[in-house]
Amino acid sequence: MRKESFKAILHFVGRMLMAEGALMLLCLVPALHFGDGTALPVTAAGGFTLTVGAFVALTFRDCRTIDDRRMSYLLVTMLWVTMSLFGTLPLIATGATLRFSDAFFESMSGVTSTGATIFGSVEVLPSSVLLWRSMSQWFGGFGIILIVVALSPSLGINRYSLYTAEASGADNTGKTATSTTVTVRRMLVVYVVLTLVFIAALMLSGLHFWDAVNVTFANISSGGFSIYDNSLAALTNVQQYIVALAMLLSGVNFTLLYLFFTFRWGRIGHKLDQFAFYITLCVCAVAFVTWALHSRMQLPFSDALRMATVQSVSVLSTTGSLVADTAQWWLPVTYLFVVLALCGGMAGSTSGGLKVMRVLILLRNVKAVLRSRLHPAAVDPVRLNGKPVLPHIVTNVMVVFFVYVFTIIFTVLALMLCGINATESIGATVGCITGYGPGLGLSGGFGCYEAFTPAAKWVCSFAMLLGRLECLTVLVLLAPRFWRR
Amino acid sequence: MRTAVNHRFNFAIVSRLSGQLLIVLAAILASLLALSLWADDGAAMAFAFSAAVVAVVGSLLRFGFGRHAATELRGRESFWMTSVVWLLAMLCGSLPYMFYGAEGFTNALFESVSGFTTTGSSVIARPEQLPPSLQLWRCATQWLGGLGLVLLIVAINPRLASGSLQLYDAEFSGTQQRKLHPHIAVSVSRMWRIYAAVTVAMVVALRLGGESLFQSVCLAMSTVSTGGFLTSSSGLAGANASTMTIVIVFMFLSGVNVAMIYNFVTFKWRRFWHNEELLVYTMLFVVATALCTTAFVADGNTLEDSARFSVFHVASTVSTCGFFIARPAHWSFLVSVVTFLLMFIGASSGSTGGGLKIRRLLTLVKYMRNYVTRMIHPNVVFSIKIDHETVPAEYVNKIFAFAFLYISFVIGGGFVLTLCGSNIPEALSMAAANMANLGPSPLMDAAGSMPVYSVLPLPAKLTLMVLMLAGRLEIFALLAIFSPAYNIFRR
Repeated sequence: MRKESFKAILHFVGRMLMAEGALMLLCLVPALHFGDGTALPVTAAGGFTLTVGAFVALTFRDCRTIDDRRMSYLLVTMLWVTMSLFGTLPLIATGATLRFSDAFFESMSGVTSTGATIFGSVEVLPSSVLLWRSMSQWFGGFGIILIVVALSPSLGINRYSLYTAEASGADNTGKTATSTTVTVRRMLVVYVVLTLVFIAALMLSGLHFWDAVNVTFANISSGGFSIYDNSLAALTNVQQYIVALAMLLSGVNFTLLYLFFTFRWGRIGHKLDQFAFYITLCVCAVAFVTWALHSRMQLPFSDALRMATVQSVSVLSTTGSLVADTAQWWLPVTYLFVVLALCGGMAGSTSGGLKVMRVLILLRNVKAVLRSRLHPAAVDPVRLNGKPVLPHIVTNVMVVFFVYVFTIIFTVLALMLCGINATESIGATVGCITGYGPGLGLSGGFGCYEAFTPAAKWVCSFAMLLGRLECLTVLVLLAPRFWRR
Repeated sequence: MRTAVNHRFNFAIVSRLSGQLLIVLAAILASLLALSLWADDGAAMAFAFSAAVVAVVGSLLRFGFGRHAATELRGRESFWMTSVVWLLAMLCGSLPYMFYGAEGFTNALFESVSGFTTTGSSVIARPEQLPPSLQLWRCATQWLGGLGLVLLIVAINPRLASGSLQLYDAEFSGTQQRKLHPHIAVSVSRMWRIYAAVTVAMVVALRLGGESLFQSVCLAMSTVSTGGFLTSSSGLAGANASTMTIVIVFMFLSGVNVAMIYNFVTFKWRRFWHNEELLVYTMLFVVATALCTTAFVADGNTLEDSARFSVFHVASTVSTCGFFIARPAHWSFLVSVVTFLLMFIGASSGSTGGGLKIRRLLTLVKYMRNYVTRMIHPNVVFSIKIDHETVPAEYVNKIFAFAFLYISFVIGGGFVLTLCGSNIPEALSMAAANMANLGPSPLMDAAGSMPVYSVLPLPAKLTLMVLMLAGRLEIFALLAIFSPAYNIFRR
């Protein structure tokens, strides 16, 4: 816990703020183009963030090494908290919302790419705010890739050992480059190129540039904010399928995407366990939801299939874009969505939830335990991609799972104490912790979190932070031992 | 050493042992027939038919298919036997209800499953209208299931020796702790004796408190087994203060590890006082009671009402008994939440109660605490100790796997219940309550009535039955028979 480490943290936070400020200033473009009178507040917010960031980064410019592992937990948490603190500025400055709890909720929902909103109607918001909302999600997704790819190898944290194994390389399948910096750059290139491709695709399908940019930003990051009151329902069928593809990819491990798009298919051939499980879950969900919509809610088959596909992908990748008002859907479908959101996308993607890799390991471990009861002496480890998973990694997965479960239970409890009813509490908790966004009841479907009490909104904001950083990174800061020398 | 897979599945031994159990059940049914004839309550025919059917099937299994059975019981057989024995007993248990004509097949089976698994969820809206002998059967199923049918078989067959450790493990899995005696058969027989003694003590106490003999026996069997069936639809509402006190004390006791009771009465107090699980169990009881009382008082009830209900309710929930009494006028949602949590935690390991079990959770929590320490200091080497004994790492893994399965079963069960028309909190709490063998689910709203399971559609009832059985057999034993490794047709 040296002073230098704190300074280094501040340095990195400053650099991140500069990037955030620059993005805020980008919101000037629509403000000037559409002339909705928000140019001045946006400039002020962006300028302020940029200045503070530059000031902090320059003050501590000589401190760049974080020598204590503990500091990296603090760094990651600090990054997201500061990011959302400053992210409130455009919302408040433009008068989109005047309550700090609301602004913080919205901002946190953005940078954690959750997609839960407090705005009942977004179409009345100024264009700069809309772009900022979409952009904060994109930026947040960017951030999580950065953390996963860049930081985890140097951290060597147990929690990240999964990522380390998968995203950046215990074996050379994942390791796409010798230097971390190069790896980061490549991942980010994949992210940016995907964004551009989807903007182009949406424009080709007839969407205006402005809409295409916003829709892509919010979906490629598995965020879920929308610039339309009725989310994806405002788009044509083809456009919905394009967005579904974007959401699907947002839940895929970035190393896989990189290898795929650089035609190194030979190297991913035997690394597909997690991907196969992800796709299987998707297909099963689509099948059930299609059946439910078609036979239970009497929708024509093609509509049912389209809605089921788009919505299931949206849930599993924890994006949270809505193809219809899901709050009106048959209850078991909603229940299934809750479970799917908890499973989440693949490890090493922008999606939230528990991650299918963990679920896969948990399930395989059950089988291994069953076998071991019959043959107690047999050495029979859990396997992933044909290779044995180290026992301590299996246990780590379980610890993450239970911390997740406990976090969910306590969040539900906290929300109920804030006066939210049981169904709403469960929905909001799952929505916020997994990064899906919409909850159940009032906050579900096309609804919003506006009616929540300020206390409940703070709980939700905290839940989003916990969910994005996978609970333990944040919770470890609460351990007294953490702060001891 | 030959491994289990290398030998042909030994059908005969499974048949023989299940047959034995059925013959015991037939004997119990026959004695109830005698009682019914004596009391002339109209259920004699039902018991006669049931006893006959069970006796015939039992004899066939025991003396027919199981005549030449070896006495050795190995891995696969012990898991299969656990499931087979339970399923057979449950089918037999449903016969008296069916022959009496009180219920159809599904409902009768549900009642029987709920009884043997000591859950106490009932499809019978007015149990007081049943003949006394049938009511006694209802409570007796709970008492038999309380300590476990396999333990009953081990008690009958002390020579099962080699296999019975695994048997013991199949029903009491995850309790890994010092056995009462190095020899498993002695251990089991001691457990039965303690169990019976506690039951008799409760009957005597209730009699002294002024209850009728019939009522005392029924109530004692329901309580000591942490079952929850009652002889009246109004619950214990009309019971007097002494009965209430006795029930509370024995509910609490039945959630305690049987071994601890043994240690206590045999003056091994050192082991008694140094048991962490018992300490946590007691603390849980005290804290939860205080919380519930406070919540009730804050919501405008009198202190006396609040305290009385809270003590009873918490004792009934931590032990997963699932009795219910009249609620205070103003329900507090906090109590539902506390109930929900307690139900997941469950009673002590080695007790008749259900749930995840405190010992397991204690291990998990300790492991997680150490994990956080290791996040901060990566090179720390640690081990987990419970009662000053190290818990092996692979054991922790098993507990995690169990808890994961437990949660998955509740979530999966909840899904089927929503398919059958329940709302989400209701579905989850119903699934969790039956998985924990608690019984009445603490519905999250203030409705507060005893859930009537008879109105549920068939798939919902089936799901609940599976959950009850999975909860009672601690999942693995039940899951094993669906696992390819346990395939009986494989050599």
